[in-house]
Amino acid sequence: MSLLQLIARRLLQLIGVLAGISLVTFLLVHMAPGDPARLMAGERASPETIAAIRSQYGLDLPLWRQFLTYLTNLVSGDIGLSLRFQRPVSQLIEQFMWPTLFLTGYVLCLAIPPTVALAILGARRPGGIADQIIRLVGIAGLTIPVFWLGIMMSRFFGVSLGWFPVSGYGTGFAGHLHHLFLPALSTAIWLVPVLTQSLRAALIEKTTADFVTAARAQGATERQIFWQTMLPNAVLPTLNLLGVMVAFMIGGAIIVETVYAVPGLGTLMVNALLGRDYYVVQGLTLIFAVSTVLITLMVDLLTAFIDPRVRL
Amino acid sequence: MSGLETSKPPLLEVKDLSVSFGGFAAVKNVSFTLQPGEILGIVGESGSGKSVTCRAVMRLLAATARAEGTVALDGRDLLTLSEDELCAVRGRDIGMIFQNPASHLDPLRRIGQQVAAPMIRHLGIGKREGLQRAVKLLEDVGIYEPEKRARSYPHEFSGGMKQRAMIAAAIGCQPKLLIADEPTTALDVTVQARILELLKELNRKTGLAMILISHDLGVVADICSRVVVMRNGEVVEQGPIDDVINRPRHPYTRLLIESQPGRKSYGTAGGPDRGTPLLSVENLSVTFPAGQGLLGGFGSSNSFRALDGVDLEINTGETVGIVGESGSGKSTLARSIIRLNTPSGGAIRLDGQDVGALGGEALTAFRRRVQMVFQNPYDSLNPRMTIAEAVAEPIWRHGIADRKAARKEADALLEMVELPSSLRDRKPQQLSGGQCQRVGLARALALKPQLLIADEITSALDVTTQAQILELLVRLQRERSLTLLYISHDLAVVSSLCQRVYVFKAGRVVEQGVARQVLSAPRDPYTQALVGALARLPSAGTIPLHNRS
Repeated sequence: MSLLQLIARRLLQLIGVLAGISLVTFLLVHMAPGDPARLMAGERASPETIAAIRSQYGLDLPLWRQFLTYLTNLVSGDIGLSLRFQRPVSQLIEQFMWPTLFLTGYVLCLAIPPTVALAILGARRPGGIADQIIRLVGIAGLTIPVFWLGIMMSRFFGVSLGWFPVSGYGTGFAGHLHHLFLPALSTAIWLVPVLTQSLRAALIEKTTADFVTAARAQGATERQIFWQTMLPNAVLPTLNLLGVMVAFMIGGAIIVETVYAVPGLGTLMVNALLGRDYYVVQGLTLIFAVSTVLITLMVDLLTAFIDPRVRL
Repeated sequence: MSGLETSKPPLLEVKDLSVSFGGFAAVKNVSFTLQPGEILGIVGESGSGKSVTCRAVMRLLAATARAEGTVALDGRDLLTLSEDELCAVRGRDIGMIFQNPASHLDPLRRIGQQVAAPMIRHLGIGKREGLQRAVKLLEDVGIYEPEKRARSYPHEFSGGMKQRAMIAAAIGCQPKLLIADEPTTALDVTVQARILELLKELNRKTGLAMILISHDLGVVADICSRVVVMRNGEVVEQGPIDDVINRPRHPYTRLLIESQPGRKSYGTAGGPDRGTPLLSVENLSVTFPAGQGLLGGFGSSNSFRALDGVDLEINTGETVGIVGESGSGKSTLARSIIRLNTPSGGAIRLDGQDVGALGGEALTAFRRRVQMVFQNPYDSLNPRMTIAEAVAEPIWRHGIADRKAARKEADALLEMVELPSSLRDRKPQQLSGGQCQRVGLARALALKPQLLIADEITSALDVTTQAQILELLVRLQRERSLTLLYISHDLAVVSSLCQRVYVFKAGRVVEQGVARQVLSAPRDPYTQALVGALARLPSAGTIPLHNRS
């Protein structure tokens, strides 16, 4: 099967997945305790006002009619109105999305080069001194809680040394880079060990692979063997892991964004939850689910691009 | 040594080569020479050091290995070369092909690129030129539509085609020497014959010298002019192939020759009881769905037919052989008989009873009457049980005896398969393959079955071990009046063991009849190809068949 066919098939599957996601997010809000109409009207509203709000928002219609309305709105890009900000949720999400995406990209740039370097260093002599040190430091990086590391780093680099701002997003590309450095670094510190262990294990496994012996017998130098044969064959499990991590970061940058007061999706999520801003929560859930699906799709396509056997 | 007789300097001279891993000496003082244009065979069982010797020549051993002695290619000692010099020799002066072509090709790169890579590396030609030459090479090694095939990936190739591609990659730079490490062991016999033919032709046309490593003396006799016999890391005998085969000097060489399948007929136990067949298979079909996964509906959803209308009969006391290449459906048949596969059509009857309809007590009784021994001796034994426990388990599970009595019975069974009692408390991984297969036999016989199904039980074993297991099987059959269904890809083994044989191809029986007749006068073209592909030792009139020393 060619790559194009694979993409077409995966996109078809995507339709079903999206329908499922929309149903789940819709039910999520309706299952949640509390009456949104009462919430909007305030504590001392009369039953008439509440009924009026109900019919205005269509909350008095049967569930399936509400879902249909929700679906048609979704298709036209309308995912509701924030009860708190009185602004369309899509606008809110768009506004808060860019810092999160920027942060995610930043983390990847900070994490991938050291991952590759450390994995190679460790896999070159498994159990050697370099490998042991990398593993120990990696475990330390994994075990330090992100919020504690975040607070410590912002105190030290931000307050004491004054090198980096401790909150906000900054203006302009350079400003973003400057402001988001500490949050990106604190995330990368736990991401690098996870990826390194995965890549290291795969590399070690491939050093004894038969096709590596065959390449050696054909006169390839160790450098050629590593870059042309071992690395491409070893990278796939790590790539899949990275996909999961990126999806997790887009949806789960809550701690880092809160600690460094980055105006991203994580911050928006926390505020919406605390303020019972149901439609924002619903919209965010939808966005997180869709982004996870899209990232998985991208990883799958990349995998298929690298490994022809996956295209079957 | 024959190297001294010729005036030409040898192409390769291996002198006092020793290889050790830690304290273990894998190869001890091995010496041999190879003349230009010669094909030298190295024969031995697994663990005899033949692969290690050749990998030491190419310096492909792990860093923990220590090699001593000299390996001179055209007078240049390979063991003292630097890494850079070595890279210039590997693939350029010496090409190498391996046992399992599937795992030795990079799964992520196109065949054409992989064939071109050594030429681009060593000959300093461009990528386009390399690819063009690769296409030409693929054509030379007998791959159809080479241009299209050069763009394929390894998983789109069959086993034989992969080995051809490996050969193309190895000969691209026109090396002086090709080392072939068990190049046909993983392949079916008809494919093996074609690959050997290709190697012979290469040698004839280009004068390429070769070292062929094999456990199969038949293969070596077919293609080599001289042979080195190795055992336990040492050369026990070497010389021209005819001398070694017709006048073996060392007892081990004699044992090897004697163990060749087809060399020896195992006196089959008494004639078959004519009468109602014990097992009859009528018009049996088995299909497997070809899974497509989610939304695979618009792909072709054809299912795979593993067996297609097979008829077969086995009489009491008879030994029936089933021969076929991998994928011919012979294992599916065995699995269907013991109800591991569900047939999609037809019936299997034991003593006239439909096996598929059995349930409860009747099914348990059926399982007692029909037992199976499997191909891989290690995988089919529970690694956590001692072998005595493994043999005792079916006895107490079927409630024939309590656990204590079962253990006693197991001891007797292990004795019957000639396993020393000191091994009883070992686990499978502490045993050799042949010993494990004896345990598998003992376990199958524990329930005193009428019908024993042996599915490729010797194909994972060395040839001498195979001969011992076959002898044991014949003895057990005689003593316990077993009916035996013997499945193998090896026509020679089947014909020496069985009275009747069925030849399978693509899920159908293409030929059946008395074993000797099928082997000597095959009627079906496929059987003729199988028989023709047998790499057999030249049938020398009188070989002193000494008893094992």
